[in-house]
Amino acid sequence: MPVDSPPAPQLPMVLDTLTNPGLPSDECPRRARIQLDLLLLAIEALDLGGSEAMLATSRELALEGLVKGRVHLWLLRGTNPMRRYSQRRPLDIEEAKALVIIICALARRLTVLVRQLLVGYQQLADKQLSPEHHFRLADYLSRFRSHFRARMNPHRAGVIAYSTDEKLDELALGLLQELLLCAGVLGPQRLWNSLFDGEVS
Amino acid sequence: MTVQRQYTLPHCNLVLEGLNADANDPLSPMAVLMNAECHLPGATDATLAGGREFLDSLVTAVSRYGQQLLSGVPYPRATGAAPPLVEIKPGDLPYHHHLIVQQQPLGERVNDVNALPPLDIQLTTVQFYDLMEAVDQLLADSQTLPDMKAQFQAVSRRLVRPTEPIAKRAAAPALGAAALAAAGLALFFVPPPKFEPSRPESEASTPAQTSTPSGEPNTQAAEAAGSEDTGTAGDDPAPAGDNLDRLEGAPAITDAATIALLQSDVTQRLQEAWANAPRPSGDLAYRMAVSENGDILGYRYENDLALEEVDNTPLPELTFVPVAGAEPVQERVAQFIATFTPDGEVVVEPTEAPTEAPTEANAAELPRLEQKVTDGDRIRELNSTLYDSILAELEPLSTSEALRFRVRLTEAGDVVGYEPVNAAAGLLASETPLPGLITAADSTGDQADFQVVFTESGVLEVNPWDGWPQ
Repeated sequence: MPVDSPPAPQLPMVLDTLTNPGLPSDECPRRARIQLDLLLLAIEALDLGGSEAMLATSRELALEGLVKGRVHLWLLRGTNPMRRYSQRRPLDIEEAKALVIIICALARRLTVLVRQLLVGYQQLADKQLSPEHHFRLADYLSRFRSHFRARMNPHRAGVIAYSTDEKLDELALGLLQELLLCAGVLGPQRLWNSLFDGEVS
Repeated sequence: MTVQRQYTLPHCNLVLEGLNADANDPLSPMAVLMNAECHLPGATDATLAGGREFLDSLVTAVSRYGQQLLSGVPYPRATGAAPPLVEIKPGDLPYHHHLIVQQQPLGERVNDVNALPPLDIQLTTVQFYDLMEAVDQLLADSQTLPDMKAQFQAVSRRLVRPTEPIAKRAAAPALGAAALAAAGLALFFVPPPKFEPSRPESEASTPAQTSTPSGEPNTQAAEAAGSEDTGTAGDDPAPAGDNLDRLEGAPAITDAATIALLQSDVTQRLQEAWANAPRPSGDLAYRMAVSENGDILGYRYENDLALEEVDNTPLPELTFVPVAGAEPVQERVAQFIATFTPDGEVVVEPTEAPTEAPTEANAAELPRLEQKVTDGDRIRELNSTLYDSILAELEPLSTSEALRFRVRLTEAGDVVGYEPVNAAAGLLASETPLPGLITAADSTGDQADFQVVFTESGVLEVNPWDGWPQ
C-alpha cells in the first residue's frame, strides 16, 4: 500500500529510561529550563569544545530529531528566562529529556576532570585558601563567569543575584557538583527527577 | 550457594553476601541478602554493616540526598517518625555531608544502658558521589537482588516547605484586611449624603409670571389666562397659555409685508400638518404668537371647542419650545388667529392691523409707488424744480459723508414725503431743508421719486429715482 507521508518519527529509545513526571502541562517548568541551560554552560566552561561536543553527542545518541543543530540547540537553551536573548517558546518534555541525556553523557566523559577539580577545591577549602590557588579550577571559574556575563540579561532579577564574582564562583562550584552527580550509572534518572522537585502534584 | 557481589570505587567499597535464587545455577541472580558491608576508605575506618533493612535504608537515604543536592529542594522528613537507620544531612561547611547511621544492635530493646550514639561520618562530595555510584550500580545490576529497583520520584509540591515563613506570607493579606477594616470604620462616621429633590425652576417662577400681566394693555388675554389657570390647571394647554403670557411683553411686528409673509407661511404649515387629522365639529379658533422667522412661540384657545380639540390640531407639535422656558420673549412677534374649520380649512388672520402709526409719517418709509409719472419732460421739469427749491433753503451741513434721500413729489411739484436711504441721512434729516418743503399730504395722483444727495463737500445732486427718462 503506498503511503503519502513518511512514518511518524520514532522517539529515540534512550529517552524511555526517563519517565514523564506527571506535570500539569507538557512544558518544562521555569526552574528546569534554567537548570539545564546552566549545566550546559558549566560544560562549556569545563571543555573548550563543549558546544561542538554537545552536537556530536546528540548525533551519537540519535537525538538529532530533537536537537536539530546548532541554531536549534541555541533556541532550546534560549528558553532559559535569564538569557539575554530569551525565547518565549516553551521547552517540550521530550526536548528536555534529550538535553538531560546529552548533559549526562558529557558529564560522564568529564568525570575525571570534575573529580579533580572538586577534590582540589575541597583541599583548598580545608586549608582556608581561595580557589585561585588551583590553576585548573581558577581557569574553570573565570571562564564560567565570562560565559555567564556574556549571555545572561543583567537586568533580570535572577541574574542580579549573581552580580559578584563570589556569587558566580559559588554557582559554578554548585554546578560542578551537580555534574558529578549526573555522571553516574543512574545519573540521567536522578537529574531528570530532580528537575521537577516541588513542581508535581 | 553463597555468592558475593562487590562494588568498588575509590572511596567506597560495597560488599553484599547472599544466596542464589537457584542453588544449582551459579549464574542465577542473588535473591536473598545475608549481609551488607560498606567500607568508606578515607572517610572512616569503621565498617558499616547490616542486613536488608540497613541496605534499604542506605539506598533510600542516598537517593533522596542525591536528588536534594541536584535540585536544592530538601526532602521533608515525616515529623514524629523515628529516625531512619541511615540518614544523610548537609554539613556545616559547603560540600560536606554527614552520613548518620544508627548502630543499635538488632534484637535488643533500646534502653538507657545499652543505647549507642549514632555513627556520624563526614563525607566530601566526591566521597558521597562514590557512595551513590556504588548504590546506583547495585540498583542497576539485574544479577543482584532483582526486587530492589530504583524508585525515583520528584518531590510533591505539597511536601515542599515554602521558602518564606507563614508569618511573612500571611502579612500581605492581613495588612489588606486591616486596611479595609480601618477604612470602613473611618467611613462609618461620615454621614451619608441627604437627597433633597430640587424643585423645577419654572414652578417657582410661574406665579410671578401670571401676576404681572394685570398691568398690561391686553387685559382680556390676562383674564383668559387667569380663568384658564384656575379652571384647567395641570391640563395640556396650560403651558401653552403660559407661553402666550410670556409673549405679552414682546414687541409686535408692525411691518405689513412681514405679517403677510408670516401669515401665508404659517397657514401653509398648519394646513399640511393638519391634513390627516379628524375634522372638528365646529370652528376651532386659537390665538398664536409667531416670531419673525416663522416659529410658533405660543398659542391659546379662543373658544371652548378649541380647548377640547387642541390635541387634534398640529399646534402642540409645531410650537417652538424655547430652551429657557421662563424667560420673557424679547424678539418681535406677530399675533394671529388661526381657525380650523370643519371643512378642513385653516384660516390664519392677523389679530389686528399694525396700528402703530409712525411718529413722523413723512420721514418714515414711503409706501410703494402705485402710479408713476411717466412723462419724461415732466420728470425733468420736476427734477429741476426740486433742485431749485432745496438749493434755496440749503444751509451748510455738519456731515462727514453724503446724505442720501428718496424724495417723492406729486405731478404738480408738491413734496409728499422723503425717506433717508443711508444711516447718516436718517440722523441729519432735520438739518436739511427737506422737512420744511413738505407741502402735500399723501395724494392719490401720479407721483415721481427722486434721489437727493447732499455730498460732504456741500454739493447738491438731484436726479430721478428710476433714472433719467429717454
